[in-house]
Amino acid sequence: MGRVVGIDLGTTFSLIAYLDPQTGAPKCIPGPYGSTLCPSVVSVDEDGKIIVGEPARALLLTKPERTIYSVKRLMGRGVADVQEELKIFPFRIDPAGRNVIRVSLGDKWFTPPEISAFILRELKSWAENYFKEPVDRAVITVPAYFNDAQRQATKDAGRIAGLDVLRLVNEPTAAALAYGLHKQKRGYVAVYDFGGGTFDISILKLVSTTEGDIYQVLSTNGDTHLGGDDIDNEMQRRVREKILQLFGVDLANRPEDIQRLRQILIAAKHALSAQDSVMLRFNVSGGKVFEELLTCAEFEKWIEPIVARTMAPVRMALADAKLTPSQMEEVVLVGGSTRIPFVRKTVGDYFGRAPHCELNPDEVVALGAAVQADILESGVKTMLLLDVTPLSLGIETMGGVVAKIIPRNSTIPASAQELFTTGVENQTGIDVHVLQGERELAKDCRSLAKFQLKVPPGPAGLARIEVKFLIDANGILQVSARDLRTNAEHTIEVQPSYGLSDEEVERMLEESIEFAEQDFSERQVIEARTEAETILAATEKTLAHPRASELATDERCAIDDSAAQLRAAMSGSDYKLMRERIDALNQATMHLAEILMNGALQTALEGKRLEDV
Amino acid sequence: MSVTQTQRDETGHASGTKCWNCQAPSAGVHFCAACGKIQPLPTGTDYFAFFGWPEKLSLDSAQLESEFHKLSWKLHPDNFVRASEFERDLSLNRSSELNDAYRTLREPISRMEYLLLRRGLRKEGTTKQQAPPELLEEVFELNESLDELREARAEGGDLAALREPLDAAQKNFQEKLEEVDAELSQIGQEWDAALDAGADEAKQQALLARMNLALNRRSYIRNLVASVQKELADA
Repeated sequence: MGRVVGIDLGTTFSLIAYLDPQTGAPKCIPGPYGSTLCPSVVSVDEDGKIIVGEPARALLLTKPERTIYSVKRLMGRGVADVQEELKIFPFRIDPAGRNVIRVSLGDKWFTPPEISAFILRELKSWAENYFKEPVDRAVITVPAYFNDAQRQATKDAGRIAGLDVLRLVNEPTAAALAYGLHKQKRGYVAVYDFGGGTFDISILKLVSTTEGDIYQVLSTNGDTHLGGDDIDNEMQRRVREKILQLFGVDLANRPEDIQRLRQILIAAKHALSAQDSVMLRFNVSGGKVFEELLTCAEFEKWIEPIVARTMAPVRMALADAKLTPSQMEEVVLVGGSTRIPFVRKTVGDYFGRAPHCELNPDEVVALGAAVQADILESGVKTMLLLDVTPLSLGIETMGGVVAKIIPRNSTIPASAQELFTTGVENQTGIDVHVLQGERELAKDCRSLAKFQLKVPPGPAGLARIEVKFLIDANGILQVSARDLRTNAEHTIEVQPSYGLSDEEVERMLEESIEFAEQDFSERQVIEARTEAETILAATEKTLAHPRASELATDERCAIDDSAAQLRAAMSGSDYKLMRERIDALNQATMHLAEILMNGALQTALEGKRLEDV
Repeated sequence: MSVTQTQRDETGHASGTKCWNCQAPSAGVHFCAACGKIQPLPTGTDYFAFFGWPEKLSLDSAQLESEFHKLSWKLHPDNFVRASEFERDLSLNRSSELNDAYRTLREPISRMEYLLLRRGLRKEGTTKQQAPPELLEEVFELNESLDELREARAEGGDLAALREPLDAAQKNFQEKLEEVDAELSQIGQEWDAALDAGADEAKQQALLARMNLALNRRSYIRNLVASVQKELADA
């Protein structure tokens, strides 16, 4: 079995973390560019090769039509749901798509879980390079306010990326976990998580028991379409309007310009977290230059309505927890958008206390996920998360009214049983429509699934089928049914309203392997061979040095022997053997390295390996 | 959303009283005393019994919470990630039952409703919406005032004058709500005392019937207060 990790699959950035067994502390793993942040951007080149992260972000400017970002906004949604996003995001969507969106990327169509899986595979490879070991299990975080379909889509993405998803953990809860480790506090905590595309608020109670600490979520609320993206879009809307007025140029049909402007505005937004004003300068293609000073005060005026939108969920979460703002012991800020001073001030004013932001708001969610992954994997439980379902679960009844069967903010796992029977004689099927949401009418709630209970013809009311709705610890609904007359399992076929079937996920898993970079072990073999070549070359060079004659004969023989053994291993494909023999050769050449150093240098470099000299 | 074909015959309908693993007798408990394995949930487990308590209505909420935390620590699916699929399923069912039980018993009103549901006096999700006879006259007056208010609003009449009787009515019904809450608390104490004294079935049924009537009256008055508040807010 390979390693287990925690992954924050974010709208703008994604991160991967693990629990360092030495220090017992969670740690984010850096990628090839040195940063722990992997831009959640996927691009495909002309040869069909998939490019993820930093290089893909660079392609947003030059190849916007072959590059996709913020795909998290599309997870678990239908074509009708995303019409608003399409006005702003340059996504091309398959109009023939049914209950799953398909996005154009290069010459192919991909579903959002497949695109997310590319990001997950990239992160997986970061970790595998870091550990020199395969990674096959993960805890993945999701916004607390994600519905069933959005959660299922995230789980599917993990599966397609070749990961066994041990658990989906809510982002604010993961952050609280990371903070709890840090602070060891007790009492009520509010986690305000304003990320790139989603907003969550969770109210937790931290309790110490004799067994360990319990992180009990009392309530959660949010908006899965509210984030830094909205701030960027608002900035863009305003600046595009100015450009249209000034130069009569509409950027609408210039994707390259839009991307370039977007990156300039994002940079300006970041700058305004540290300074009072920033100069906006944008070369409109065609030779015109837009130039204007943007002050912090003006920026705050622009974003005030967006930040205000976060406060309604905050109030509702507190009301559901039957608590007041002043009862919070701690207020924790998570997500890149909480770097904006105006956001911090708004939250601080509301709760009447300075919010905590000691931990890196970009990393804190991934760190918490790594802690939970370790708890699940090691079986050593030092703390327990009790999370809730963010939305009420209901079934459609007469007249399209929804009967709530599991209220929002119920601790999960949670369940409800419902008895179904026939209303007319010789009825052979009972239709069941499952929904999620707070509204009274089915048409205003999110449809999760429809299914029919098949019953033998008979008098009305004779059939008695008990359906059990169970929301598991991931916040995903499971449905089972039992015939009360026979007490036998009742087979049901549930068609999810949005999302992929198990067969589709398996097929995508197979296909994704084709796209994936070389297999882990193959990559390890290549790396080990390169390293072996380096050390062999270094050994040869050192042995040719005049002072090498000072070596004793048996030492010389041991070096030759180790080198020969390493060469033999290199012809095979056992990378572990190669690594062992690299270490052996390093050991054998230790004395030689010492000999080659002289005087003061010798004492300074004592114990160093040959290749480092 | 995913579909599972849980083995309800095994998990939901534990017919035997023996541990599925070591065959030691283990009726109704969370874990087998002999081998420590998690046990199936007997059909129709009573939420009070889940915590090992009688069906009494006075509950110390701090004690309930602490028991909830203790059992969560043991039953949560986190503990069974590496266990067999069968045990994972048992954990899922038992911990969901624990959460359902805690959610239901936490609030005094839902606790009473649950007791009545168990004793067959209520059906799930139904509340009677007929006006209690002793309130008929007042409800009639209130509805008239509400109609006048709506009419006046539609035609742009004088709202201020109409608010007065409504404010008075709201105050009146708010008081009635407090009365019925006090009554419910009284019946609850009588119920607990009756259980302690080993009262017979007839006595128990009489108390439950009173409780049911009071709960219906409460729910009716509460809806009334809410609708008056809404009208006043709109006016």
